[in-house]
Amino acid sequence: MALSRPQMTAVVVLRVLIGWHFLYEGLSKLTTPGWSASGYLLQSRGPFAPLFRWMAANPDVLSTVNQLNMWGLTLVGLGLILGCFTRLASAAGLLMILLFYLCNPPFVGYFYSIPTEGSYLVVNKNLVEAAALAVVFVTDSGRAAGLDRIIHGLLRPRARPAAA
Amino acid sequence: MADDEKDDPAPTGQRQGAPAEKKFDRRDVLLGLSTVPALGLFGYAWGRKRRYDQVLTPQAAEAAAAPANVREINVALLGAGAQGQVLLDAMLRMPGLRFRAVCDIWREYNQKRVVNILRKYKYEVNGYEDYREMLDKEKDLEAVVIATPDFWHAPHTVDCLEAGKHVYCEKEMSNTLEGARSMVHAARETGKLLQIGHQRRSHPRYRHCHEKLLQEARLLGRIVTVNGQWNRGVSPDLGWPERYAIPADRLKQYGYKSMGQFRNWRWYKGMGGGPIVDLGSHQIDIFNWFLGANPSHVTASGGTDYHDPATHEWYDTVMAIYEYETKDGTARAYYQTQTTNGSQGYFENFMGDQGTLVISESEANNPGLLYRDPNAPPWDEWIRKGYVSAPKLQELDDEEEDEPAVLDVRESVAPDQHRVPVVLRDPYHQPHLQNFFDTIRGTAQLHCPAEVGYETAATVLKVNEAIEAKRRLSFGPEEFRV
Repeated sequence: MALSRPQMTAVVVLRVLIGWHFLYEGLSKLTTPGWSASGYLLQSRGPFAPLFRWMAANPDVLSTVNQLNMWGLTLVGLGLILGCFTRLASAAGLLMILLFYLCNPPFVGYFYSIPTEGSYLVVNKNLVEAAALAVVFVTDSGRAAGLDRIIHGLLRPRARPAAA
Repeated sequence: MADDEKDDPAPTGQRQGAPAEKKFDRRDVLLGLSTVPALGLFGYAWGRKRRYDQVLTPQAAEAAAAPANVREINVALLGAGAQGQVLLDAMLRMPGLRFRAVCDIWREYNQKRVVNILRKYKYEVNGYEDYREMLDKEKDLEAVVIATPDFWHAPHTVDCLEAGKHVYCEKEMSNTLEGARSMVHAARETGKLLQIGHQRRSHPRYRHCHEKLLQEARLLGRIVTVNGQWNRGVSPDLGWPERYAIPADRLKQYGYKSMGQFRNWRWYKGMGGGPIVDLGSHQIDIFNWFLGANPSHVTASGGTDYHDPATHEWYDTVMAIYEYETKDGTARAYYQTQTTNGSQGYFENFMGDQGTLVISESEANNPGLLYRDPNAPPWDEWIRKGYVSAPKLQELDDEEEDEPAVLDVRESVAPDQHRVPVVLRDPYHQPHLQNFFDTIRGTAQLHCPAEVGYETAATVLKVNEAIEAKRRLSFGPEEFRV
């Protein structure tokens, strides 16, 4: 079932907005001298806390995590805004956000020292953004409006005469 | 989006239904590029944000072109580790500094990082591993800011002073009194400035308390007891990215046995002095300053009670009691530092017969609170002058209101609580560095010159001696003179 034009337009708007958010998160970290995820990782709670704290405690791992995070956010942001490799970008973004969520899940009984601006119970904005990225992933909207349309369009006609 | 929906069923996850016969046309290009303007919009917003930040943080605008009335000073940073970074962050906010050089033996990591930061701020800086090479080549340096491990302070400071530079050197002045003495002598002989990094001496709240509340208004009356603490939670030893490890021969050349020792030098004898020196010296310096005296005796207890003594040679837990003969009479001061529980953080508490002052460098720990003893003369005059805030009555906690506490006639009435109305919004080290650079420009006097730093070093280093001696040690007046 193809999406109607308003449906696809809504998904593209959603994709661009998420991309904007990612791109700014990435660039603001890249341009902050000495930015590190260690504070965020160190206050991790929940079942995966030992893993995240291990990342923060091990300088080699931490510097890799920092680089992956800064560049990952930036590239995913670009991909989503431009609709370029949309599936890859949305899958990578989904994975990153799920990791953020699992690092500091808003479960009952966990209290964080980094304050949040709202009230969350199990569901927080990370989880909502992750679900939105899942929508972007399954609709693959880059092929409707985005560079993916050009990339695939240019690849497609060459294969066609042989098929026809 | 699409001009004509019927011609263009938007592709979805099920693309097998896409029209195979359709050719790639202009509409594909338009739709393909349709979200590019969003990136342009982002670029515009990002540029606005960057410009806004630059206006907010004065460094970029002001450092590039110092105001005409502030003379530019050529500065080098010697020691680009964690503390060097703290000092650098404060200096980058100050107008009239031109960074020329960075020296750190960890070329692969710290030196590279700080050089890159300074180049981002458009400073033409050179990186050095050997500070003597830096002093040889950077002829137009006027000041060197030193944040190296304690055991390097004396050679670094003396050589910089003798090369004609003014020096800001982090506390502790040195890990040995001989080292500290050589620094005082070098400052005197060269006539160059030497500021020691006891930065509370320039903190406006501390200065207000000393000058206005204690000296002028004498709000506490006669100070009889003092206590202070710096409690810190357990933190793992510092690590390092293995691929950036310093080669063993270079470590050895600079006095380190291993990368672990290089990173955690504060815990090693012969290099630092342990928490009592790293943390305590800041606050014991305030004891001396506010009491207007150096101590006459010290008793102390301490040990490596929690950490592994093989890698933590200095004491992780220390309790010390000083005795002072002040001009008003005897005062006793207790100080505690421990590194297993950060409860209640750090503060200094001065108690006199007319009032109490609790103060901390950290506003979050304590914003500067004063308690007037009910028997003391009223503070109305000082409230009117703005020296202290109007009182807030001490009230019982809500939970206790159900069952009011029964006051016994032997208990003192709770005193009024006042605040010290002075707030520092800059980084803690900025006023002290500013004082140093202002003194170079001839518009101020050092708040912590070499002689004062020496007195504090003599006061603090004696604690470790007293722990080893397991008895009360006395200070001769000559021990504070250089």
